[in-house]
Amino acid sequence: MTVILGLPSKGRLREKALERFARAGFPLIEPEDARLYRAHVEGEPDIEVRFLSAGEIARELAAGFIDLGVTGEDLVRENIPDWANRVKVEARLGFGHADVVVAIPEVWYDVRTMADLEDVAADFRTRHGRRLRIATKYWRLTQEFFSRTHAIQVYRIVESMGATEGAPASGQADIIVDITSTGSTLTANHLRVLSDGIILKSEACLVGSIREREAGDAALLARITEAF
Amino acid sequence: MATLEPDFAAQLLAFLDAKQTERIDMPVLQPADPFLDMAGESLRGRIFLTESETGDSLCLRPEFTIPVCRDHVASGVSVPRRYAYLGEVFRQRRAGGSEFFQAGIEDIGDTDNAAADARSLADALDLVTTIAPAAEWRVTVGDQAIFEAVVSALGLPRGWRRKLARAFGTEGQIESLIAALGRPRAAPRDLPKPVADALEDGDAGGLLDAVAGCMEELGFTAASGRSAGEIATRLIEQTILDRARLSPDEVAVLRDFLGIRVPLAEAERALRAFAGRLVDGDGETMGDVIAAFAERVARLAERGVALDRFIYDAAFGRPLDYYTGLVFEIAPRVITGKVEAGIPSAIADSPRNAGVAPVVGGGRYDRLLTLLGAESPIPGVGFSVWIDRLDEARITRQGARQEGAS
Repeated sequence: MTVILGLPSKGRLREKALERFARAGFPLIEPEDARLYRAHVEGEPDIEVRFLSAGEIARELAAGFIDLGVTGEDLVRENIPDWANRVKVEARLGFGHADVVVAIPEVWYDVRTMADLEDVAADFRTRHGRRLRIATKYWRLTQEFFSRTHAIQVYRIVESMGATEGAPASGQADIIVDITSTGSTLTANHLRVLSDGIILKSEACLVGSIREREAGDAALLARITEAF
Repeated sequence: MATLEPDFAAQLLAFLDAKQTERIDMPVLQPADPFLDMAGESLRGRIFLTESETGDSLCLRPEFTIPVCRDHVASGVSVPRRYAYLGEVFRQRRAGGSEFFQAGIEDIGDTDNAAADARSLADALDLVTTIAPAAEWRVTVGDQAIFEAVVSALGLPRGWRRKLARAFGTEGQIESLIAALGRPRAAPRDLPKPVADALEDGDAGGLLDAVAGCMEELGFTAASGRSAGEIATRLIEQTILDRARLSPDEVAVLRDFLGIRVPLAEAERALRAFAGRLVDGDGETMGDVIAAFAERVARLAERGVALDRFIYDAAFGRPLDYYTGLVFEIAPRVITGKVEAGIPSAIADSPRNAGVAPVVGGGRYDRLLTLLGAESPIPGVGFSVWIDRLDEARITRQGARQEGAS
């Protein structure tokens, strides 16, 4: 009988997550060797802690390899197909705030809203011989927002695994969908968020994996989530 | 293991051959880009994508129309062709398996639109009736050109006309546009001073220079992206769009039009009556498209097709930019296996209204071949049949008959 907890392995997210667990009454005993990616909770022999990247936590939750984890809501919604049936957001943790947004070149003065962007996208092929290109690592969120929420059908996604903000200036894409916390990187790259272009207001969440468990594990999990 | 191929395949192929068509087969592995370019990114989640060794994006063919049209363009033939196909397609659906058969006829290059439209409608109805004679088929017909004429008759600027034309067929979308057109809009804008000044003065040349200046300063010089001219033109267009609004009467006219749903035989009269309500002079643009519509119906009647199975639904369209005129769907009136009681009212039991999945989808796609690279415009009209749904209609209806008899 063990409950496996996945926590972010580095940076501010790790710090904040440990802080929140301590405050909730589950202080972690960190490994003596900081390079070890496992830990325990004081007085809770049945909780095993694993340090993983936030992306891996989302994936492992979906697969059911870990029971509970701290990860970004953007990663849950983007990386887990049919996420609502596979994981449950138990608590929003109030840190790691960031928005997934649609940003366009600042000089597109004629584009203020998604409706304007729809006009531009519809004409794009006639004018430029290709579809409007969107650089992003958020395939799923982009498709849902463009195709379903705003009925924009004609665009192409260009996968971008990093430095997405540079794509419009370098000509790899026309606009981007990316995550931003302060907006300063967008501004530095002369990009502007559309007035109705916020796809998701994300933050770090305590997320549980939905599956059948033995009574003892379920009770332990309930005790942890209730403490948040 | 049950075979996926329908047991009426031979009958179906004989039917297609008898329609003076040329049977065509397409590779299962297709380049993915044409499908994503034509149908949009939302298709990506539903098709089966893979990659060639050289990194080209490939997919299992999700449908036949685009490959058939690409093949036609590549072959460079200049005479009209009638292509027929029966084969497996691969697409994830809300209901049913992801591999299923489709059959269809694509009529490419015939410039007599009314005749080709009528033939496509007649062939499609004939096909489902031949395979499932016991089912009661209903054909719902829409027309993109009529809607565009109505919008144009309302005197809206080009930008709004195009916006509405794109939303045509998506109920929520068209409704929110009409609502937006009915209320005044403030246009707060946060523009750099030179741009704002030139726009205010209506100085087109100055505006272009101001936008170009800002672009250069901020480093947006990508050759393939939007140009300063494009942005400046649209800024001016936008001030016109912002001012364009419909009066409550005009909004009502547009809504009334979208509410027209009549038996096809009465559609011309209903459309003429509607056109009569529009303010003076606007009847003319409507006149032409109504005449074309009536011509199509006349050609259909000449073929001896029973028109009482056809319904004209003014709001029916497809939000894909290559459809240009006729669109249609065929579905059985009864799908639950229960025989509906009472006298059929052609309108009330329109399958489209009941949310019944169509067995046939068809339409005119005059823009598609140009989008796929044809040098001069080539007209096209065609339809596809979902074989599994056709089979279901066949079996359900036969079952219903037998139960009724016992």
